[in-house]
Amino acid sequence: MSSKINGHVSPQPCPHLLDFRSRNGPKPFRALHDCIRVKPPGGCAAIRREPSEVPRCGTCEESSRSRLYACVACAAVFCHAPLLHSHASDHALSIPGHEIAVDVDRAELFCCACGDQVYDRDFDAAVVLAQTVNATATTSTSGSTAMQCSVAGSQPENLRKRRRVDYRPWEPDSGEHISRGNQSIPLLDATNASLVSSTQQPWGLRGLNNLGNTCFMNSILQALLHTPPLRNYFLGDRHNRYYCQQKNGAINGTKNSRLCLACDMDAIFSAVFSGDRTPYSPAKFLYSWWQHAANLASYEQQDAHEFFISMLEGIHEKVEKDKRKSQSPAGGGDCCIAHRVFSGILRSDVMCMVCGFTSTTYDPCVDISLDLEPNQGGSGKSSSAKSLNSCNVEADCMHPNQNGGISTLNGCLERFTRAEKLGSDQKFFCQKCQVRQESLKQMSIRKLPLVSCFHVKRFEHSSIRKMSRKVDRFLQFPFSLDMAPYLSSSILRSRFGNRIFPFDGDEQDASNDLSTEFELFAVVTHSGRLDAGHYVTYLRLSNQWYKCDDAWITQVNESIVRAAQGYMMFYVQKVLYYKESENQGTS
Amino acid sequence: MSHSHELVIKSSMSRPPPPPPTTNKDQQRQNPSLQEINIKLIQSGEKERLKELLRERLLECGWIDEMKALCRAFTRKKGRNNVTVDDLVHVISPKGRSSIPDSVKAELLQRIRAFLASTAD
Repeated sequence: MSSKINGHVSPQPCPHLLDFRSRNGPKPFRALHDCIRVKPPGGCAAIRREPSEVPRCGTCEESSRSRLYACVACAAVFCHAPLLHSHASDHALSIPGHEIAVDVDRAELFCCACGDQVYDRDFDAAVVLAQTVNATATTSTSGSTAMQCSVAGSQPENLRKRRRVDYRPWEPDSGEHISRGNQSIPLLDATNASLVSSTQQPWGLRGLNNLGNTCFMNSILQALLHTPPLRNYFLGDRHNRYYCQQKNGAINGTKNSRLCLACDMDAIFSAVFSGDRTPYSPAKFLYSWWQHAANLASYEQQDAHEFFISMLEGIHEKVEKDKRKSQSPAGGGDCCIAHRVFSGILRSDVMCMVCGFTSTTYDPCVDISLDLEPNQGGSGKSSSAKSLNSCNVEADCMHPNQNGGISTLNGCLERFTRAEKLGSDQKFFCQKCQVRQESLKQMSIRKLPLVSCFHVKRFEHSSIRKMSRKVDRFLQFPFSLDMAPYLSSSILRSRFGNRIFPFDGDEQDASNDLSTEFELFAVVTHSGRLDAGHYVTYLRLSNQWYKCDDAWITQVNESIVRAAQGYMMFYVQKVLYYKESENQGTS
Repeated sequence: MSHSHELVIKSSMSRPPPPPPTTNKDQQRQNPSLQEINIKLIQSGEKERLKELLRERLLECGWIDEMKALCRAFTRKKGRNNVTVDDLVHVISPKGRSSIPDSVKAELLQRIRAFLASTAD
């Protein structure tokens, strides 16, 4: 009954609100618009008839109640404390048409008859407008109308959807029917069912030999080999190494042009998915990568994350030269398969704490690096024990701070998207104030990638103290992850309070129709010390976990994975993750 | 009794008369009422600052997340469409009030006292 955008539900109005709207013309909240006061910084909106008004209940004259409501029909203010008394309800019930009121301190609509919060698009639009006009430098009235357009949007969301083709299930035509009958052999029947037993390892599991401290490379390769969109791309022959090399060789006959990391990846995919289970040595790939990242070419142990980034760059460099697409926006992912799979867009808002002016920038990113710090526990005492119990009941806990000090991935993400005061030594130049001011910075995710890679900052290098150390702290990570709370739309919504309003940049492109739900498919773990450690990757295939320790692949219980020290976690969009059924080969 | 009463009247006659009360409630000059304090806090803008401080402290200690979790649990139990704001306020208020850390209470009380002292007539 309510529409859903990015996981947010737009509530339907109650009968009293509908009634109020129908009886009060096209702009029923017009009078309130002038009473919206926004206090920078932070942009909290309140309702005051005059800026210095002290709201007071008309019946009992109390101004110290925690909830005071102004009737939108007659502007009278009343208190609302349902257990003691509600002068707001008394007023609402005594005069028909006066059920709708607005919370004077929160600028939120309330129906005194229903006893519940209600939402109105036009009212929320006015509040958000007041908050954003306050927060951006608009010097002329034309500027503010332009702002109005981008914030208000020109149409309700349901009309702004792009035209799409309706879904029709596929039916083979007559020609396809015939060829199906003639040439095809059933994949599974009584004769070959024995070949596909549940004890056989899934396709694409093959050990990788350690070529001399190359577990950092092996661990990342294993994860990439089973990254669904990447695997599909290479196995689907989208980058054919024979064709590519010929092309490169033909253009410049020099040796360097024949270096193509994507071709080497293609070779590894072919080798690993060939069915041959003997461990494979990715020597050619290592050599190519050394040539690409000359500064890291040695037999020393490298950082797996650094390798991951450099590999994606390597694929990007060589592949994008083949396809000359028109200018795509940064992070659009049209340039190469590496970015198509991993690239998302981060939004950074820096708000001046003096005037409220907010500067927004968008940056593409191929992964998110998270600080590892202990979560805030509960308020101590017995409450944390209770919450720990309630958390164990749920398979994938969505309450990051309930674990009484255990770090969780959600907790790290929540901290990543929290508004943070920049220190007094990091004053940001405010365009409105024209001087450096203390600021509040907040990150959020503008666009989710197909595959989210989370990198836990376990290695700290201090150039000042000339030392490095490893953070061994345990991090709990879920097998299913919903990224909705960390999206820009969610962060903005909570910043502006509970508003049902589309924000600038919200729901603008079809990619936002993708779900925000992700499934874990690979975990790269590090054990040991900073200078003497070992990388191991855990892969999740058809709901079984496999440990990939260089050349040795073993099936393991999921509890082993949950207890492992996660360094990089790979999550793929749920719609791209295929969970094979338990029963294979049953007729 | 009447003797001391006389004395009190005599001593008070030598002082200037107290200012007229600003609220409906009877109040003594030495102990301002909650109403008076509230108005002073609002008009000076101190209430906003205190609210911000409180928000920050409650966020840091995880109190806000606890309240959210309580609301979620309650909503899940009763069904999303059967819960009103008033229900939620009613359910979490007792737990909320009792689980505020003493340090937060102390800090805010201290701030309020300091403010009142600095603005005393």
